[in-house]
Amino acid sequence: MARKSKIIRVSLAERLSPYQRFYLLCVAIIVIVPFFPLLIRSFAFNWFWPSLLPTKWWWQVRDTAWTQLGWDYVFSPHSHVLEAIFNTLFIAIVVTVVCTAISIPAARVIAWEKFRGKSTVEFLLLTPLIVADIAVGLGILVTFMQLGLAGSYLGVILGHLIPTTPYMIRVLTSVFQGLSKDYEEQARLLGASALKTTWFITLPMILPGIMAGALFAFLISTNIFLLTFFIGQGEILTLPTMLFSKVQGGASLDMIGAEIAIMLSIPGLILLIITERFLKEEIFAKGFGG
Amino acid sequence: MALLQSLGYAPIYGVNEFPTLRYYSEMFTDKSFRISLFYTFYYSLVPTIVGTGLSLYLALALRKKFRRKTFFQYIYKLPLMIPYLVGVALVIELFTPGGLLARLFFATGLIDHPTEFPRLLKTEWGWGIMTVYLWKQIPFTTLIVYSVLMGLGREFEEAASTLGANRRQTFWHITFPQMIPGIVAATLIVFPFNFNSFEVPFILGADFPNTLPVQAWMTFDNPVYSNRLGAMAIVMTISFISGVMLLMYLLFYRNYERKRGRQ
Repeated sequence: MARKSKIIRVSLAERLSPYQRFYLLCVAIIVIVPFFPLLIRSFAFNWFWPSLLPTKWWWQVRDTAWTQLGWDYVFSPHSHVLEAIFNTLFIAIVVTVVCTAISIPAARVIAWEKFRGKSTVEFLLLTPLIVADIAVGLGILVTFMQLGLAGSYLGVILGHLIPTTPYMIRVLTSVFQGLSKDYEEQARLLGASALKTTWFITLPMILPGIMAGALFAFLISTNIFLLTFFIGQGEILTLPTMLFSKVQGGASLDMIGAEIAIMLSIPGLILLIITERFLKEEIFAKGFGG
Repeated sequence: MALLQSLGYAPIYGVNEFPTLRYYSEMFTDKSFRISLFYTFYYSLVPTIVGTGLSLYLALALRKKFRRKTFFQYIYKLPLMIPYLVGVALVIELFTPGGLLARLFFATGLIDHPTEFPRLLKTEWGWGIMTVYLWKQIPFTTLIVYSVLMGLGREFEEAASTLGANRRQTFWHITFPQMIPGIVAATLIVFPFNFNSFEVPFILGADFPNTLPVQAWMTFDNPVYSNRLGAMAIVMTISFISGVMLLMYLLFYRNYERKRGRQ
């Protein structure tokens, strides 16, 4: 008897082994530490080799400098960063709204109805996950140029819908699959109109799923670089395209570059906190069929 | 469109030899294409394999109870939410000769001058590229495998150990087989992602050799417009390889669902 209980304790040890503890610590360090130089860089006026910390910080020269520096410069109209922030947010919001509107009916049909070619549709919905951005970008660029969409907001928004919509449909499909069609049918039987059923029955049920999907669609859109770069033709400035021009050469960033990189990390950080606090882990994984 | 163009139909560039396989045969006979193909596979495969191993260990550790677990679950998912371009910026700030690592090496007396710091980025070894891939993907694979593990519960493992299996036996006969679907799903998503990535190898890779997406862009971004058809041929090849990966993923997933008795 004693032996048995010992085995159980050993094999299902609930506590971390020393190796695992060390490993988790390493993971935490590897995730967090890379942000330090970026943060320092964004506040450094002079940061010469080989000092570990800048010799002159931004705030030390802030009042005496002949021009606006660092964060002041970023938020001044001269730097175009504000324009990029506005573009990034504007495009992401429109993309999220349009993509949600397209995805709800599509997901409903895929989840609840049987139709011919359903598996083909499901296959096609997975392709944007796999097909290279560069293939999509180069492929549609020519068409968009002919249609006059290249370099326009409309073109970029349409481009962003390509990766976001299938993702959203996949998330919402799994939400609909988790629900039963019966609620809608009951409401209809009790005399509710189609519109009322949708508004009072279906929407409240899928709202958490919509929120989760919309947040991720927003994040995906703010992170897209290549499609904006191709379709925008350099005329639509967003934070990712600005950051690209800063890191392109592969040399150390300047203050502005570091600041853009930090700003680009913020939506993800906020989303991480929201999803961890309010959503279940599976919702994210669901979009990948995992 | 891309397919038509790669087959020689591109009136807007003044080319119309449809249908021709010339651009494909030119591509396959081109030595630089084969080199790029090799490096694309190399840069994508190594992080996928290494990352999967590291993620498994992480997912298993996450099942245990430990202090600050909630906090840790925020931390490890952070890279998932950060754009690749920011990841590139982080790698640059760490690993360039003027970066933090070189400064730390100086502080500890390992080097006296930035030029002594080994060149890590923009070489054909692709350390920078693979670092970014790993940094971004370990959280992803871990998340998938971990949610599979959570969905399973621990009844089978408990049963096995009650029946006298030791830790290694429990792992290899019970836990690991149950993790396989998650691992395969994550791998088949992660690998094409690396394979298709453009900005990471473009910035952190060598001028030559580099990956196929970068080569496609270089070919496309050329004053000679008819070269663009060659770019389309490269892009179609990338898409084809990715498509095969996707099909494998779906077939595997179908099979797995059928085995579990769903539908």
